[in-house]
Amino acid sequence: MAVIHRALFTWFTTLDFLIFLVLKLDTKISWNWFLIFIPLWLFDVVVIVYLTVNMIIHCKNGYDRNHSDLSLRRKGWFITAASLKMIFQVLLCLRLQYLPSFPLYFVMIPFWILATVSAGDMFRGLVATHRRS
Amino acid sequence: MFFTLQELVRWLRMTAFELWLHVISVLAFSVLAVLKYEAVLNLSWWVIFIPLFACDGLNAYFCVIVFIREYMQVDIKAAFLRFLMSGLSLVLLFLFKLLLCQRLSGQRETSVSEVMGPLFVLLQIVMVRACRTH
Repeated sequence: MAVIHRALFTWFTTLDFLIFLVLKLDTKISWNWFLIFIPLWLFDVVVIVYLTVNMIIHCKNGYDRNHSDLSLRRKGWFITAASLKMIFQVLLCLRLQYLPSFPLYFVMIPFWILATVSAGDMFRGLVATHRRS
Repeated sequence: MFFTLQELVRWLRMTAFELWLHVISVLAFSVLAVLKYEAVLNLSWWVIFIPLFACDGLNAYFCVIVFIREYMQVDIKAAFLRFLMSGLSLVLLFLFKLLLCQRLSGQRETSVSEVMGPLFVLLQIVMVRACRTH
């Protein structure tokens, strides 16, 4: 998938999710929280399948023509990040729908891990770019 | 996850530093918001939102610096266009945070759709930027 396809797909799922979220929070609809999150489940499934197929092609051929700059380890981290996001969403939906007394700390743990590692990764990328220039 | 940092920079027309600032501020805000929600911290929502507002302030400062440097080194048209687009995104994000903070602190009776309004406008800009990515 080219960047434009991935960007438009991400934009579309985000827009759908925000529309559902606004309708639910304004009490225009009374759907289950798991249904409100459908666009995000779709996004996660597509990301995980896309990355898994890419990893299989990479392992089979020894290289990836579409993402030559991405190592196998990096793709592994991307799948882990998608899984962490999915776990966070499941915990959030469970808390909102069925377990209102469940502590919010436990719900947020996957998100905090994901955000902390992503921030560290981005900082490393920033330093590497600065050293190159 | 789905994009590399370079792809995100190309799509969102934001620098890696700006993206990094957003991630850090959201992380700090989420920690403070959870502590407030679980009644560990007894602070007002305006204090909880400080990391997000600080991020906007830093990004605005960064935007002005880039504008001045581009104006001195490249040309006024490119500098002004970049400043306008970055400024618009920043203003929309700031407006969303401001409305959300006012709603949470109970200062204004706004519906969620009103609070999310700036975010929907921003999403349209992001869509145009996605179409121009190649």
